[in-house]
Amino acid sequence: MRSLTLEGASFWYPATESPVLRDVSLEVSQGEIVALVGALGAGASTLLLVAADLAPRVTGGRLAGAVARRDRSGIVLPTPWTQLSGMAFTVWDEVAFGPANLGWPTHEIARQVDRALEQLELVPLASRNPTTLSGGELQRVIIAAILAMDPGLVLFDEPAAELDADGTRTLWRLIRLLANEGKAVLLATSALDALPDVADRVVWLEDGAVRAVGKPDLLADVAVCDAGLGTSVATVWRAGGLPGPYPLTVAHAVQRWR
Amino acid sequence: MTGVRLHPFTLLAIAGALPALAWILPAPAGAAVTAGVALLLTLTPGALLTPAASPGFTVSGSSPGRRPGLVVLRTAVLTAAPFWLFLLLLHDVPTTLSIGLRITTMVASFVWLVAALEPARLVEAMVAAGWSASIAYLLAATLSAVPVLKARAQRIVEAQRCRGLSSRGGIAARLRALRALALPLVLSALHEVDERALALETRGLVPGIHRTPLAPPPDPVVERAARWVLLLACLSALIRRLM
Repeated sequence: MRSLTLEGASFWYPATESPVLRDVSLEVSQGEIVALVGALGAGASTLLLVAADLAPRVTGGRLAGAVARRDRSGIVLPTPWTQLSGMAFTVWDEVAFGPANLGWPTHEIARQVDRALEQLELVPLASRNPTTLSGGELQRVIIAAILAMDPGLVLFDEPAAELDADGTRTLWRLIRLLANEGKAVLLATSALDALPDVADRVVWLEDGAVRAVGKPDLLADVAVCDAGLGTSVATVWRAGGLPGPYPLTVAHAVQRWR
Repeated sequence: MTGVRLHPFTLLAIAGALPALAWILPAPAGAAVTAGVALLLTLTPGALLTPAASPGFTVSGSSPGRRPGLVVLRTAVLTAAPFWLFLLLLHDVPTTLSIGLRITTMVASFVWLVAALEPARLVEAMVAAGWSASIAYLLAATLSAVPVLKARAQRIVEAQRCRGLSSRGGIAARLRALRALALPLVLSALHEVDERALALETRGLVPGIHRTPLAPPPDPVVERAARWVLLLACLSALIRRLM
């Protein structure tokens, strides 16, 4: 079942003449992970804001085309320190901020918060002041805060930007877990090497328009690699002057080499 | 440290009543009393709060290290001092005393309120009293803006010091440092406002919500009565002054 549908969506920020998104059509189904890739300024973050119903409602601007959302959405923005509520003195309270705003009964809030803290391995930090956490810890707190609101559509904008290697691996596992629970996941990331194992589909955005959509194999496509959006293995293969199609992962490369 | 934890509405009532009385009561005696009380209060914010930290509905039960009273008193005195200077330049001594004490009451009350009132407790108290969560957040965010901006300014100064710009030295050097501080401070604050608005929206803080109070602070009968007494005191002082 479709969780998000965009049909011919174009978006203009206030006081700009050229659209940031151009005629974008995209569907994300429940249980599916769709990754947005593209150069800086390609429109991935704006597409997430549109999907989250924050653009143009909060950002201002103009939206053309149709956007249909079946589920409540939650978005994790790239800078965790600006997403703190400023109204909580412990990680537990910070994660509970969103569920409390939804008006849930306290026992349900406690259940969802405890679950989200466990999912993000944050239980040992539950009584810490959020402002004393590292960037990576804070990012996990913000992700937990969104998940505690139990959104059906989860949107991630560069979720691994502040995380170390362990935190990143936990995040990708969690995203797969969310999809297995039936949530729809749309993420914008430059961590291209993780996508073959994480994403079900990849959407290549260029200048605000969808250039190509496909399986993660797309990241080994010659045109994608030419645009600097291939996986590391595909990029090295290409730099070595080896013939295409380029391998996507180390395992693929080993197979090709043999 | 243990002590009396006043309800946020009581803190607001005290911080509102003192300046009101300062302007209503005859000067300089009335204003001297209110200024004295307000300055004494600045010594107490730590004693009024009980730090505690355990996960789960601790909004009203935990507090990141409160500022010691002497620091709050110093902030109030240093903030009020320039007003005294200008008043002395513009007026005679009796007028300076009258207005200066009243302004000192206002400044000290506000500085004490910012130091003693935890925004999270205020939100909880307002939501429990049936106020809109958005309005409660707006008020609490306004009260917490001063320390937030101060912390940000400190970070910018430190970053610029690392890049060789000293905020010490003569007036010219200090002015250069001030100019270098102001622009990034304003721009970063504006940028953060945008992102914070998006973050708060996605976390459900939208107009018309019915937020669940997680840990509404207790509001004893004594405090409710004290607030009414403060209000009545202000009204009776006003009526007496007008008659």
